[in-house]
Amino acid sequence: MIFSKAFLIQTAGSAVAVLILTGIAAWARLAKPMPILDEAAARQYFTQDFPASKIDQIWISDDGRGAVARSGDLALVLFVAGDGYIARHLTWDQAMAARPVNGQVVISFHDIAAPRGQLAFATWPLTPGI
Amino acid sequence: MLHAPFDPVTLAVPFFVLAIILEIALARLGWVKTHYETRDTLTSLAMGLGRGIPGVLLGGMIFAATVFVYQHRIFTVPFEAIWGWVAIFFLEDLTYYWFHRLSHERRFWWAAHVNHHTSQHYNLSTALRQTWTGGIAGTWSLWLPLAWLGFSPAQIAIQQGISLVYQFWIHTEAIGRMPTWFEAVMNTPSHHRVHHARNPRYLDSNYAGILIIWDKLFGTFQAELDEEPCRYGIVKNLGDFKLLRVAFHEWLGIFADLARSKSIHEVLGYVLGPPGWSPDGSRDTSASLKTKWRELHRPTE
Ligand SMILES: [Zn+2]
Ligand SMILES: [Zn+2]
Repeated sequence: MIFSKAFLIQTAGSAVAVLILTGIAAWARLAKPMPILDEAAARQYFTQDFPASKIDQIWISDDGRGAVARSGDLALVLFVAGDGYIARHLTWDQAMAARPVNGQVVISFHDIAAPRGQLAFATWPLTPGI
Repeated sequence: MLHAPFDPVTLAVPFFVLAIILEIALARLGWVKTHYETRDTLTSLAMGLGRGIPGVLLGGMIFAATVFVYQHRIFTVPFEAIWGWVAIFFLEDLTYYWFHRLSHERRFWWAAHVNHHTSQHYNLSTALRQTWTGGIAGTWSLWLPLAWLGFSPAQIAIQQGISLVYQFWIHTEAIGRMPTWFEAVMNTPSHHRVHHARNPRYLDSNYAGILIIWDKLFGTFQAELDEEPCRYGIVKNLGDFKLLRVAFHEWLGIFADLARSKSIHEVLGYVLGPPGWSPDGSRDTSASLKTKWRELHRPTE
C-alpha cells in the first residue's frame, strides 16, 4: 500500500480541521467590503492592471460589480470573484460579440487562468461615445 | 542518520490550526485588520491538505536520491553537533533563497510555485496554500549539495521543515512591523507581504525563507512602503477558486504555448523565460510591468 495507515488517519484529521476552519472563517464574515463601483474606482483598478493603457471610456455594469473600459481596439474587463476583482483584456470586437442573457454577459478570455467573466449589462454591445 | 526522527511540519499542524483561529478571532473582535473570504480560505487549506499526496508519491524517490548523494559525501557532519545545526541553518536558508528566486524568475519553476501566490488575501491560511507539483519541477535537487557536503538526509529534512514552519507566522497582516533589529535580519510579515504583492514596484523581491539578509546581499530586497499598500495575488489573478485551476493552470498554460510554438527559440522562451515571456512581447513580465509603472510615475518637471 502506498499510503500508510498513519498517513491516512493524519490526512482525515487534517481534512476535518480544514472544514472546521473554513466554517469559522465563514461565520466570522471577514470578507473585504465590495462597495458599488463608480467610475473613479473602476479607473483606479484599470490603471493598476493596465498601467500603460490610455482609457477612452468606462462603462460600469448594472449591479456596480464590474466594468468595461475601451482602450483603442481593446476592451479591458473588470469582474468579481469572491471579494476581489479580476482584470483581463481582449479585442473590443471579441468582447462586443458576447450575447447578453437575462441581463448578464459572459465574456470568454481564452485564458486557462480565467476562462470567462460574467458582468451585468442589460444593454449590449456597448456603444462608445454615449 | 537517514530518516528524520520527527517532522517539524507535522508537529506544527495543531499550532497552525490554533493560530488561524486566533487570527480570525482577533479580526472578528476588531483588534487586528485581516480579511478572510470563505472560498479563498477553503482553497488555501485544501491546497495545504493535498500537498501530502504528491509528497508521498514522489517522496520516496527524492529521499533515495538524497541518500545516494549522501553516500558519496565529502565530509561527515555529526547529527548531534551544534556547529552542524548552525551551518545547516545558514546553508539551507541560502539554498531556499535561490530555490525561491528561481521559482519566480523562470516559468517552468514558477508553474510549480505560482499557486502559493494565487490568493488575493494575505492571512495565515495563505501560508498553507502549498504547491502540489514541486516534486515534478525537480527543485528538490537544489538541496542535494547539502547531502554531498555531509549533512544527513534527516538533518536536511528537519531544517527544511523548520524553515517551512518559520514561514507560516509571517503570512499575516495582523503584525505591522517587528523591532528594527529583527526586521533587519529576519524575514518578517512586512517583508513577506511585499513578496506576495502584485504592485509592479514590489514584484520579484524578498525571496527569503528565514533570513532577509540574502535579499539584501543579492539585491532583491524591497522594503514595505507606507505610501504603497500591498495588493495581493498574481499579475493576472485567477478567475475563480477551483482547486485544479490553482494547482495546474500555469502548467496547462505552458503546454498550450508549446503547442503553438514555431521554433526552438520560442520553446525555450516559453519554458525557461521569465513568467509572461512571449515572442512578440505582447504579454507582461515583471520587468515590463515595472517599466510601465515607472513611466506612469515618472516625476514631472
Ligand atoms: Zn514566492
Ligand atoms: Zn508566502
